[in-house]
Amino acid sequence: MTEGRAVTSTKTGPSRFQRLSGYAVVLLALALVGGLYTAFAAPKSNAADSTSSEQSMAVKAGRELFLQGCSTCHGLNLQGGAGGPSLIGVGESAVIFQVESGRMPLYAGTVQAPRKKAKYSIAEIDQLAAYVGSIGGGPSLPKGALNDGQLQMGGDLFRTNCASCHNFAGAGGALTYGKYAPPLSPSSARVIYTAMQTGPESMPRFTDNQLTPDEKKAITKYVEFITKAPQPGGNDLGRYGPVPEGLVIWLVGIGALVGLTLWIGARA
Amino acid sequence: MTNPADPSDKGSIRDRLQSPVPSSEANSGGDSRHSDLTDAGFQQTDSRGALHARGHDEGQQGVPHATPVTHAHAPLDPALEEAKARAAERKIAGLFLASFASVIAFFFVYFLAPFKFTEPNNIYFTPTLAVLMGIALGGIGAGTVMWAKNLMGHEETVQERHPFGSPPEERAAAAELLVAGAQESQLGRRSLLRNTLLLSGGALALLPLPLLFDLGPYAHKERGLATTAWKKGMRLVRENGTPVRIGDLGLGSIDIVFPDVPGGNMMADAPTMLIRMQPGEFKPVKGREDWSVDGHVAYSVICTHLGCPVKLYEQQTHHLFCPCHQSTFDASNGAKVLFGPAARPLPQLAISVDADGYFIAQGDYHEPVGPSYWERKP
Repeated sequence: MTEGRAVTSTKTGPSRFQRLSGYAVVLLALALVGGLYTAFAAPKSNAADSTSSEQSMAVKAGRELFLQGCSTCHGLNLQGGAGGPSLIGVGESAVIFQVESGRMPLYAGTVQAPRKKAKYSIAEIDQLAAYVGSIGGGPSLPKGALNDGQLQMGGDLFRTNCASCHNFAGAGGALTYGKYAPPLSPSSARVIYTAMQTGPESMPRFTDNQLTPDEKKAITKYVEFITKAPQPGGNDLGRYGPVPEGLVIWLVGIGALVGLTLWIGARA
Repeated sequence: MTNPADPSDKGSIRDRLQSPVPSSEANSGGDSRHSDLTDAGFQQTDSRGALHARGHDEGQQGVPHATPVTHAHAPLDPALEEAKARAAERKIAGLFLASFASVIAFFFVYFLAPFKFTEPNNIYFTPTLAVLMGIALGGIGAGTVMWAKNLMGHEETVQERHPFGSPPEERAAAAELLVAGAQESQLGRRSLLRNTLLLSGGALALLPLPLLFDLGPYAHKERGLATTAWKKGMRLVRENGTPVRIGDLGLGSIDIVFPDVPGGNMMADAPTMLIRMQPGEFKPVKGREDWSVDGHVAYSVICTHLGCPVKLYEQQTHHLFCPCHQSTFDASNGAKVLFGPAARPLPQLAISVDADGYFIAQGDYHEPVGPSYWERKP
């Protein structure tokens, strides 16, 4: 605008033009430097600006959602209450695990929160997570794909750390007094990863010092691999292994053979 | 000879082809199937081979080989027979064709059908192949059985066993051979050979005795079952060899740790679970107050019942759960048994922290890990 005025005011006289041209040069230089700076630093500063503003918007939206859906039990300021624990410091990951797997919102006080259909969309879950994570910090998802790891290392780590409860094929298993380790097949990569980070309910936590993010990604990849593996052999019988398979073979298979043999004998 | 009470008996092909019995004669017989065994048909064939006469014949020498005894049933009306046979023929041919079609379908499914591993309906691939293979094999099998039942003759055959004893000539020959061998070896004359052979044979009989000796109490004097590789000052390392530092475990975290023996731990009795819980939640057993560090507590993972790995830890209730027989231990209370067949708590490993902040063992377990055994001294 000032530049434009400088251009229009060139008619008023050379001295004025010279004076104004000084401003114009300074302004041009500033514009050039600013433009160059924006051009070179654009991705960074733009992204930082937009993410921080998106972040604050997500926190705001997440707060709205939280006040509507969660604050009855968890308190207006995440401080917890009679119905639910404090969420200060649980981190974004805890929200992603609990809400994306449908465990929260909780319907009834059972011995263990069951997996349900998620009540919120992924976008809403991210907003909720941003809000809860903004208060007190806590574990959050790393950047990049969560299943970007070495499959073989993931298998080794899974068998060492996870298989004792979740079964070698991720089929889950029983714990004490009605609790159970759930099957892993319905879990998304985000749910698998955040479960390791936060240790929900009976599950132990695996800090980044115990399992590095790369190792967690490898485990996530392996879990996706085994739970989504094709079943060309027909019904997998819950992937519980040789015991139910043997039971079916002995009761159904051998039973059918014995019945057939008796039938042939009766006809002979 | 015939059994008109059973219309399904159609007689053998041979009978039908060679000596068709008139229906009037067939009607004359009134005896049951069981009494057929003693009728003239057997007597004519061979008196020694007939069932009722078997008992008398066993003692007799020189019964050559079993004598097949056949018994034939009379046929029915030949025209009706032929019609039935044709119907059966069609059925059997149908089974064979079903088998053939299954083989073709098998190849089709295997190479062309859209049951690929990557597709959602891949669970039908193997079962479909199995069913087709079953029809391919079963069609031939069932057809063959029907062929034999419907078209071939019904002949009941009795075949005698051989007599158990060898003929006397063979026995005498064997005895002669033995005596000749003994004479040839000069066993009676060469007493030195005989006596040294007896000596070595007797010594050989003593060989298993040390194996029995190993079962006794002497072998366990060094308490190999009662000790593990854990030693004072030894670091707690993970399976990949990295030592565990204080602060590595978050609240509610666990790690399976092993003694830091050179070359890696190879002993099955050493695995230990390091658990971190809120220091307030942990109630140390009396006399073990300094066995844990700031809420970190270590127990053997070998179940005291039958030695399964007790690796199912519930971080909220601090239950340690054995998947084999549901023994449940309370990690916050000295691994006391809460439920199940285990008779003793899991042994606790006394731990502390060295100057660099790494966990170390204060020594070996204070009691034998794992299941009970006879010489166990707690």
